[in-house]
Amino acid sequence: MKRHLLVVFLLAIIFPVFAAFSVAVTGLYHHEKAMELVARSYAEGLVENIAYRLERETPLGRHFFTGMLSMGQMGIFSWGPSIPGWVAVVNSDGETLFSSPGAESLDFIWDQKISIGEADEVYDREGNKYTIAVYPLSGAEIFVVGAVAWEKLLGPMIRFNHLWVFLALAVVIAVLGALLPLWYWVIVPLKSLVKEISVLEWGAEKPAPDDRRAVSEIRSLRKVLHDLSKTSIERNELRSSYINDIVKVQEEEKSYIAREIHDGPLQSITALIQQIRLFRRDNDSDGNIASEHLNVAEDAARNTVRELRGLCDELSPPWIELGLDHALIELANRLSRYFNIQVSVEVEDGMGLSHEGTLTLFRVFQEAVNNAVRHGRASFVSGSVYQDNDTIRMEINDDGEGFEPQPDFEKLRVEGHRGLANMIERLHLLEGRLEIVSSPGQGACLICILPVKLLKKDS
Amino acid sequence: MAIRVILADDHPLTRAGLKAYLDSEKEIQLVGEAEDGERAWHMIRELNPDIVLLDIRMPKLDGVSVARMIREAGLSVGIVMLTSYDAQQYVMASLRSGARGFVLKTAPPDELTRAIKTVSNGGLFLDSEVAGAVGENDLMPDSISVREREVLLLAARGFSSKEVASRLYISERTVQTHLASIYDKLGARNKTESLLLALKYGVVTLEELLE
Repeated sequence: MKRHLLVVFLLAIIFPVFAAFSVAVTGLYHHEKAMELVARSYAEGLVENIAYRLERETPLGRHFFTGMLSMGQMGIFSWGPSIPGWVAVVNSDGETLFSSPGAESLDFIWDQKISIGEADEVYDREGNKYTIAVYPLSGAEIFVVGAVAWEKLLGPMIRFNHLWVFLALAVVIAVLGALLPLWYWVIVPLKSLVKEISVLEWGAEKPAPDDRRAVSEIRSLRKVLHDLSKTSIERNELRSSYINDIVKVQEEEKSYIAREIHDGPLQSITALIQQIRLFRRDNDSDGNIASEHLNVAEDAARNTVRELRGLCDELSPPWIELGLDHALIELANRLSRYFNIQVSVEVEDGMGLSHEGTLTLFRVFQEAVNNAVRHGRASFVSGSVYQDNDTIRMEINDDGEGFEPQPDFEKLRVEGHRGLANMIERLHLLEGRLEIVSSPGQGACLICILPVKLLKKDS
Repeated sequence: MAIRVILADDHPLTRAGLKAYLDSEKEIQLVGEAEDGERAWHMIRELNPDIVLLDIRMPKLDGVSVARMIREAGLSVGIVMLTSYDAQQYVMASLRSGARGFVLKTAPPDELTRAIKTVSNGGLFLDSEVAGAVGENDLMPDSISVREREVLLLAARGFSSKEVASRLYISERTVQTHLASIYDKLGARNKTESLLLALKYGVVTLEELLE
């Protein structure tokens, strides 16, 4: 499973908060329960105690009501404030016989059904909370009612409880509040950085250098990645210009050597042949030994001329100057003769390419036919050069054995397929590319794509 | 009346050899020698020769450009390219720029004489080593059909098989079949060669080709 940063952060923050919050709620609940129990046992004890005292101080035989009156004088009813609440004695009709101060809210409370014997929580008109207990006296004709006011008995604890709720809420809000900057300063910048980097074409593109929203660590990370990719681009450019130089120097050198051979030895030997022929014409002496020697010399010279011409053509064919059309047709004709297969090429009318472009397509075509014959054992290769919107395309089809295309030319080079790697590299130098459509047994189709700016303006 | 010839070649040794040969021909009169294209052009304007022998590669101005200038100026000078390049495309380029003869420097001397005479008589002369090893001037190939001739001419003008097909309202496959038949009849191995041979045999004329 993927471990997403956001999930980790959420677990790290939300879980403890949730745990703390549940502990708080549980604590609060049990605290409340505990207070309730305290209040109940207090109230129950109170009414029981008073009832016991009432019965003890009303001796049997005395008239009940007389007893009642004297009981009204009991300190407990007149000193009301000494208990955190009030007590009252009511008859079965709900009439208050006597009560301590503060029992005024009894009428309201009495209307709510109060169970006898068990303490219960009630609220008066003002919403104050009481725990109330009732104790029957003398065969349930009169009752002692005692109420404990929570505020008076447990005031500080209640206030603490309320405060606790607010504290817990405050913590939750603070945590949620902390999540916002975490989201905007860490998660979002990190996510956008990751997204940028994952689709980045190293050596050609670079990520934005800065992200002002992000925390400084992410900004530094971004800066480092930006600098790295910049270096990679520079290295690529350097490499490409280096290769460009090599290719250029190589071609220049080849063409220099070809020119030197053509203008030097080739012309001299041609002159030699002419001289031999003139000599033979002026000294018509067929059949003698000297003439035989001259024949051999002439043949040798003619062979040398042919060889030197072949060498020139291989190094740097002079007919490239005739333009793409002628150059490719001548090349196709020669390759066709050389390999004894059918090679044809068609160039769209008016396709005048710069010298560089012509040379590149020339070399690529040469290499393609070579590959098709040597590796694919093709017997038919056809090329066509045409313009397609803002690109110049050279399509080369063969009927050979085909192969599995491998687009990574570095890998191709490493694997020893220098031919394809060279083609791709040469096209790259002119901002072009190579597309290969092939599979084993299906022949191959190479499409060279060059930018249209290589077209000569006047054509 | 001897044929007046100007020789343009930047290589002194070659020039000397050719001069020695041309001087020995009674019907040919060498009236000037140029060592570069510009000099050749001035000489042609000055001396108005019958024939100019042009090397393709020369300093300052190449032979093909000089030929084009002669044609554009409307001069009645017969142009024979005399070169060490054996590329058929040079023959095509020379013919398109107005040359009527193409001879390799290594050709036998009498072939050069023949070229000069043929071109000065208004004919066309192509070196046999370049325009296909097979084929002599007097050899007539199997007759080429009217349709095949049409296909050959259109192909020669640089139209692709597809374009030729659409112009003649036939399929591309038929065009290929016609071309294969033409190659076979002329003994050619490709389009350029078949065209050069067709020119050589007189199956098509240069005027038709350059139309």
